Amino acid sequence: MREVTAVILENKKIADEVFSLTFATEEEIPIKAGQFCMIGIGGHALRRPIAVCKAEGVRITVCYRLKGEGTRSLASDYKAGEKISVLLPLGNGFSLTESQKKIVVVGGGVGIFPLISVIREFSNEKEIYAYMGFRNRDAVCMESELQRTEKFVISTDDGSVGHHGTAVQALMKDWSEIRPDAVLACGPAPMLRALKEAVKGKNVPVYVSLEERMGCGIGACLVCTCNKQDGTRARVCKDGPVFEIGEVEL
Amino acid sequence: MANLSVSICGKELKNPVIPASGTFGFGREFNEIYDISLLGGVCTKGLTLERRAGNPVPRIAESRGVILNAVGLQNPGVEAFIQEDLQWLKNKTRVFANVAGSTLSDYAEICARLDGFVDFVELNISCPNVKCGGMAFGVKPESIREVTQAAKSNLHKTPLIVKLSPNVESIPVNAQAAEEGGADCLSLVNTFTGMAIDIERRKPVIANNTGGVSGAGIKPIAVRMVYEAAHAVSIPVIGMGGITCAEDAIEFMMAGAVAVQVGTQNFTDTLACPKIIEGLNDWCDRHGVKQITELTGTLKLNG
Repeated sequence: MREVTAVILENKKIADEVFSLTFATEEEIPIKAGQFCMIGIGGHALRRPIAVCKAEGVRITVCYRLKGEGTRSLASDYKAGEKISVLLPLGNGFSLTESQKKIVVVGGGVGIFPLISVIREFSNEKEIYAYMGFRNRDAVCMESELQRTEKFVISTDDGSVGHHGTAVQALMKDWSEIRPDAVLACGPAPMLRALKEAVKGKNVPVYVSLEERMGCGIGACLVCTCNKQDGTRARVCKDGPVFEIGEVEL
Repeated sequence: MANLSVSICGKELKNPVIPASGTFGFGREFNEIYDISLLGGVCTKGLTLERRAGNPVPRIAESRGVILNAVGLQNPGVEAFIQEDLQWLKNKTRVFANVAGSTLSDYAEICARLDGFVDFVELNISCPNVKCGGMAFGVKPESIREVTQAAKSNLHKTPLIVKLSPNVESIPVNAQAAEEGGADCLSLVNTFTGMAIDIERRKPVIANNTGGVSGAGIKPIAVRMVYEAAHAVSIPVIGMGGITCAEDAIEFMMAGAVAVQVGTQNFTDTLACPKIIEGLNDWCDRHGVKQITELTGTLKLNG
């Protein structure tokens, strides 16, 4: 992990309340799918942890939802050409073994973005099936990235586009047809809990990327810990954000 | 190059900058970003006799100019620290072991375990985030005297720092109580108890409801309290509370601090401490200050 000053190349709205920020680092920093960065926003003591969506050489793209004062300031006060302070790459990221060939990614809301990095990293060597859930038509984005997959299904809560329902429901309809070797997921806690319930007894490894409010982002402050099933606590920023679904309480 | 070294209770630190307890773990993670041996010392995450899981999440929130946290003393226990991290950290820099307990005997026992093994023990009698984290000891002068005595009675080789709470009636009275109890040094301020509310949910943001407020916004109050403490006792004082840059650190030193701790700024900028050390050197050079110790307590009040 490194503390860098990056130059903003683009910071634009890509869907309802969702922005895409692309910045360039001075030199190329190797980033694994599912890792994240901490972005400094002027006047805010806490940096914002945001998943990396695309890493193309020195160009890195993260996507974020307008949530509070920090992300609103990031969207309105930071323009192309300006500098931004970034700590990266952070967290463990997603790992796949050689024998895991058929991969399902299932995402909801801003949880789709770390999965886009999975699609970009693995789509040449693996068969990837993507199930992405959005609130409605206006929230849908990243469709061109989803084209890299074997198959993708968009779900919306209101049915305004794609499957009417949740991404997990759409996945389970196709499950027996795909018979995946691994499932990678990121999204709101209710989605992850529904997934956990749905894959019970399927005997397929499922990895989830968790979100938590963070302090340092590097594992020192113990602000972002989660409960593990064995009674201990894990740091989402350092031991995660990716965990085996049975390993953590959701 | 100014001489930045300072001495606390006869122990020399290469500079007066120490990351504050709870913001820096045991130093390993930050050492992946910079060599922590350039620090004056490291103050550890609060240690208790037994491992503690801490509070539920969310444990942190932001408000303008400050943050609130309620981690609740999650730590692996003093024994795990001694076995796994102490020697590594000692090889890097001065070790300030921050310790907490829920009874007088907890404090006495943990001090006995650490005596002679760490450079300083910092007594956390002011953690606002756990019911038994020492806050009960940190409010009234009588109990401050008592817990300081209990700790001191088991510290024969390691100097004792008592970390004072700002959530009290009188800083000078409490500072004197710690000195009377046998403290070799004071540090202040710990965090201010606060609350942040999520108005959509009509609930506190932090699971613990209240949290300790820290960061740039508390600095003027902390400077005033450090000034009051330093002028009430004859033992050295370590100042902290909202330090973000070298100039902030100098304010605390002028108010009477021999050294400073930096907390929240480590989150804002992982390189905060090295930058502050560099900034102290630059400031001293620009102002013809040969030794940084010359700054301590040089504040002149307006007539």
